Amino acid sequence: MSLTRPNRRTALALGAASMLLPALTGIANAQDHSGTIRIWTFLSAEGQSPREVVLRALIEKFTAENPGVSVVVEAQPFQELETKFVAASAQNRAPDIIWMRDTFLDLVNQRGALANLDDELSEDFRSNALPDLYPVFAEKSVLDGSRVSLPLWPSPAQILFYRKDALAEIGLDAPPQTWEEFIPVAGKLTSGDRLGFGLPTNDNSVSAFINMMTGFGPDIFDAATGQFDITGPEAVATAEVVRQLVAIGALSPTLLNAMGDDIQDQFAAGRFAIVQAFAPRFAQYKQIAAAYDPAQLAVAPWPAFGDRPPAVLLGPYWTVGLSSKSENKGAATAFIESLYTPEASMQWAQIAGLVPDRRSVQADPFFATPEAASIRVFSDLLDAPGALTFPPKLPDITKVFPVMNTALQELIGTDEAIDAILSRAKATLGW
Amino acid sequence: MVGSALVGPALLLVIAINVLPAFYGFYLSLREVFFFGDEGFVGLDNYIALFADPFAWQAIGRSLVFTFGSLLVAVPLALVSAMGIRKLGRWGTVLLTVLLVPWAMSPIVVALLWKWILVPSPGGLVGSMFAAFGVPPKDLLTDPMLAMPTLIIVGVWRNFAFAAIILTGGLGQIPKDLYKAAAVDGLGAWETFRKITLPLLAPSLLIVISMLTISYFNEVQTIIGLTGGGPIRHTTTLGYLLYHTGFVEMDQGRGNAIAIVMFMINMLLIALYIRILGKQPGSAA
Repeated sequence: MSLTRPNRRTALALGAASMLLPALTGIANAQDHSGTIRIWTFLSAEGQSPREVVLRALIEKFTAENPGVSVVVEAQPFQELETKFVAASAQNRAPDIIWMRDTFLDLVNQRGALANLDDELSEDFRSNALPDLYPVFAEKSVLDGSRVSLPLWPSPAQILFYRKDALAEIGLDAPPQTWEEFIPVAGKLTSGDRLGFGLPTNDNSVSAFINMMTGFGPDIFDAATGQFDITGPEAVATAEVVRQLVAIGALSPTLLNAMGDDIQDQFAAGRFAIVQAFAPRFAQYKQIAAAYDPAQLAVAPWPAFGDRPPAVLLGPYWTVGLSSKSENKGAATAFIESLYTPEASMQWAQIAGLVPDRRSVQADPFFATPEAASIRVFSDLLDAPGALTFPPKLPDITKVFPVMNTALQELIGTDEAIDAILSRAKATLGW
Repeated sequence: MVGSALVGPALLLVIAINVLPAFYGFYLSLREVFFFGDEGFVGLDNYIALFADPFAWQAIGRSLVFTFGSLLVAVPLALVSAMGIRKLGRWGTVLLTVLLVPWAMSPIVVALLWKWILVPSPGGLVGSMFAAFGVPPKDLLTDPMLAMPTLIIVGVWRNFAFAAIILTGGLGQIPKDLYKAAAVDGLGAWETFRKITLPLLAPSLLIVISMLTISYFNEVQTIIGLTGGGPIRHTTTLGYLLYHTGFVEMDQGRGNAIAIVMFMINMLLIALYIRILGKQPGSAA
């Protein structure tokens, strides 16, 4: 079909309009948003950690594009975010946006504190951004058919950080990938004041014991109940590994209730060769390295039992929700969406060393540079055969981690029989 | 009538912020409340479950160890400090002001400060001191044998200056004539202290011991910041158990039951002090 002269003019005009339309729509949308958005997160808007720097930059960009909107970050202790949010929601003073751990999602949602994002997210986000997120994380934010949050920073979560220079001392490039081989190596890495292995054993949302158990694969979680067998053969084998690590000197029997932050600080000071750490803190670990060259920091999955693949437990991780009682849902949703633009993903990656939320940006040349080496490792771990997630509804979520941490402390610091320790943990949970 | 009217606003304030929440807490202790969801009336079930739990009894025991361990060090130290401060005159006041800084600090800040002091690796003050003497790093906060004594030291460091202030005031109230008379009678320093200073200081001591008991028995923020109740529950006092049950496990019904039990124990201890120290001669002064 040929176009007549007027039709050509019309087509050109339409073409020009179509090019301008997104920009005009954007301006119109930006003008639509106004008011204040309150955000509760564990990051401070004034902080200097890499993630805080990115958050601040994203807020500045959003407020520049939405001059009528004021974004207020109210930093909270990370372990109190969910509980304070539910309490605040009940009193109609919840923030508009909440960052929380995925393991609490079901509990918070049960209290009616989260909005259904299916009703709020823009069509553009749903059709372009959502399919670009890692499905394993994105699907876990859908409860009973409703999307109640968006996962942030796809990450292998609790993983092993190690010093390549320490491993090189005994002629290795990386920690062994089975517990059988790992135990003697961890023992050899204990030298002078340095311990071979460091585990946080007192965080309320992390359990090194469960992470170690994942070396048996995803079947440790019962599909129907979400529970794991605390006195079963897998748990007993895990407990035996702990005891062997203590016996060989890799784990200290007097370092019993260290928290993740303690392990991080002491690792920076050179106290450990290998530690359990939260993957998104990789850049921070490099930043605070004092007793070793930051370039020597590397990551590894958890060793496995038998001939299974090395384990990567994808959680707990951060997820972002919208308050069901927000009076500024439009602006708040727009801000949430701004955290997941390709540009934001690049910033999280380039400044904070995080795996980008948007998978498509990994085609950027940055991800082929040596600077992005750790991100490539993290990305590979997300797709590793040993990767697994917590069940969507892990029961007794407020108790299970502290109970298993106490059991781990008892395994490390006492000679009590393994069966007795595990049975007590099981009885405490009432499983 | 005028007097009642003047006291009225303050009384209303006390009722609003102390009495009513206490009754509401008791009401919640009779209900099953989890993660801010009220599941209904359960009678004394929360109390029965609490007293059937051996870890709760251990927590009571550890609260008493922490409280009396701290009192045993803090009160004599405060008394000695108070007497020294009076001897030092103006410089004593300056010294007391400096020593009072920890008491004025937030308990969480105190915990963070001490965590850095005690970190068992290069950079930690205590670790560096040990290293200077060739002693390997000590896990003072994570070793089951050392965690509670370390907490007691921090507790004493934080509160003894406050006690010293009250005792300094108490010492100033004792008539100097009594000391002159004791000197004329040939009483030695120890006898003077035992027969004059201590009995006449009883009212101040009652205040100090009562306030420190309440402070130590209810201590939780420093424990959260330093040990998190560990290692292996060795520093899980009743106060920490309340925090853990109510704010970590989110079992708010049982958490309130623990709060009521703590209140009763506090009252019991203070009644005991009044009974013992209230009979001292100085108590009528």
